[in-house]
Amino acid sequence: MHTLNTLAFLVFPYLALTTSVVGHLYRYISDPYGWNTRSSELLEKKGLKFGITIFHWGIIFTLLGHGVGLLIPQRYWDAVGIDSQTHTVFATYSGALVGAAALLGLCLLIYRRITKERILATTSLNDFVTLGLLFFVVATGTANVFSGLYEHFDILTTVAPWLRGILTLTPDPTLMLQVPLRFKLHILGVLTLIGFWPFSRLVHIWSVPLTYFFRRWIVFRRREISF
Amino acid sequence: MKIKAQIGMVLNLDKCIGCHTCSIPCKNVWTNRSGAEYIWFNNVETKPGIGYPKKWENQAIHKGGWEMGLKLRLRAGGPPNKLLKIFHNPDLPTIDEYYEPWTYNYDKLISTPQKKHQPSTRPKSLITGKPIRLKWGPNWEDDLAGVNETGTADVNFNNLDYQIYLQFKKVFMFYLPRLCEHCLNPACVASCPSGALYKREEDGIVLVDQERCRGWRYCVSGCPYKKVYFNWETGRSEKCIFCYPRIEAGMTSLCAETCVGKIRYVGVILYDADQIAMAASTKEEHELYPAQTGIFLDPMDPAVVAEAISQGIPQSYIEAAQQSPVYKLAVDWQLAFPLHPEFRTLPMVWYIPPLSPLVQFFEESDDDVYDPEVMRIPLTYLANLLTAGDKEPVRMALRRLMALRSYMRSKRLEGKADPGVLEKVGMTEEMAQGIYRLLAIAKYKDRFVIPTVKKEKEVNLYRDQGAAGFSSHGK
Repeated sequence: MHTLNTLAFLVFPYLALTTSVVGHLYRYISDPYGWNTRSSELLEKKGLKFGITIFHWGIIFTLLGHGVGLLIPQRYWDAVGIDSQTHTVFATYSGALVGAAALLGLCLLIYRRITKERILATTSLNDFVTLGLLFFVVATGTANVFSGLYEHFDILTTVAPWLRGILTLTPDPTLMLQVPLRFKLHILGVLTLIGFWPFSRLVHIWSVPLTYFFRRWIVFRRREISF
Repeated sequence: MKIKAQIGMVLNLDKCIGCHTCSIPCKNVWTNRSGAEYIWFNNVETKPGIGYPKKWENQAIHKGGWEMGLKLRLRAGGPPNKLLKIFHNPDLPTIDEYYEPWTYNYDKLISTPQKKHQPSTRPKSLITGKPIRLKWGPNWEDDLAGVNETGTADVNFNNLDYQIYLQFKKVFMFYLPRLCEHCLNPACVASCPSGALYKREEDGIVLVDQERCRGWRYCVSGCPYKKVYFNWETGRSEKCIFCYPRIEAGMTSLCAETCVGKIRYVGVILYDADQIAMAASTKEEHELYPAQTGIFLDPMDPAVVAEAISQGIPQSYIEAAQQSPVYKLAVDWQLAFPLHPEFRTLPMVWYIPPLSPLVQFFEESDDDVYDPEVMRIPLTYLANLLTAGDKEPVRMALRRLMALRSYMRSKRLEGKADPGVLEKVGMTEEMAQGIYRLLAIAKYKDRFVIPTVKKEKEVNLYRDQGAAGFSSHGK
């Protein structure tokens, strides 16, 4: 059991993260043409609008929530007067809202992808794997949040320090020993998704065009060869 | 003053016969690929009509181009608005507004066993592979097909009673070949969140950097001419590249090269880039056309030439600008006009309006030059297309074309040149000769004056072949 736990929460995380970092570099260099959103809006627009909008906003706020809740140690929250119970209550309700939005959006998008002929015809195996992983991650995550309403498990002293340990290269897989399976499944799903990320269309997330705010309207560029 | 050079084009609609020959080599060379089947960098539309994609001129629907508020802004909104809606661009046309690309099951013609009836082919979608019903295409309205239904939605009928002109006896038509306008103030470039679209410093050609395009799709909706297209296979945008590999070699674009009517002219224009924003912000829409010609610089002016050289414009570009057919037609003779200047993009593909038969008989009058108001194509329609509704410049251009015919007739048939007819429209005999030479004789070397690019860096073109471009990498 201990060995399995070490494999899952010490070896696998670093394997996934390494694959992701190296994979992103490889993809960016080897496939500059494929690094895009692969939008299907041109082929089907009506069925896309609601689903894609709530999915994206839902998942963006979910990620922000994970960052704020898991990466900042509880002692900093305590310092500003937010104790772990308040933290958990806030995280549960806000997480339930944005998680449900992302899950509903994702379901609508999967439904669209399967039922609209043009979309199905232009969907690759890679897209299905990505969607499947996303669905698993979002579904388990949302289920965990909702189950937290009935059966509390304190992740602030278990999962959160484990994650910080992984990211700061001071890993302690024993922190995960007491964590219920439903959280473990979610975490393993996320790690798999992180590893698969660079090979999927998810790479577009790194290209959020924030520079658009700072550049001038008309871009002029010189030819590489001169006159 | 910041002097820049721009490769521009003029199309003489008076000579366009709507043969689509321009579209074919363009298609064969640039968009004959999976995902790009529906993309026509160059297409020919019959006017009146709503075109390809449907109603592209109607910016109330498509939200393309710029508009004047307190200052110049994109009609579809700036960066905050765009980023909020980036997951679902509300202004993006769907492929049905262009057309769903199709092929035929040709093999059925030879594989079907002998039957009582001839075998037939059915169209099948190139996206899904399933049989489809054809409902629209890039030249669906060819020669006014279906105009009784679609023509009512043609925005160029503004201020005209379209009912009259869609009656069989009153109907008129002409062809409008369309390609990317390579604008001085391109809305597609301004709309791109990634900064993947750019204007080339040297010749003003607008390109999509295929390695930087992330598929946010705002260029497609931002271009008021709908000349940036989204490749549904590769997930990137593509557009007319003005055949830049040919232009760099001093050759003209394929559409211009192959035009059987010799209606296309390609040349260099020098302009003041510092005045772009000012010209595009001209308050009144009908003043945009004169504002645009106002920022073009006279290549014969020694002061302009001296300044251009000091700013690093090569001698070859200055010489080409001095012989530019585009400058002559647009500025010297004022025969060519921009397409829909009210989109405020300062387009650089201009059009000479077409003459058409006189529909009213006139008694002999003092004025030998007929008023274009009585021509079959309503002057208002042409003005809505080319000068944001201002009829006077179009009227003068048509009168000049009429006067030129009258003058040449007097010279060649009556043996006695009659310059009187020219004076009424502000032309000299020398000018008439110049126009005659360029429009009627239309020698290849006069139509296309394109400077070559000197490649200082050794480039092994053979090695680079296929290394970059539109093709989907690794497939």
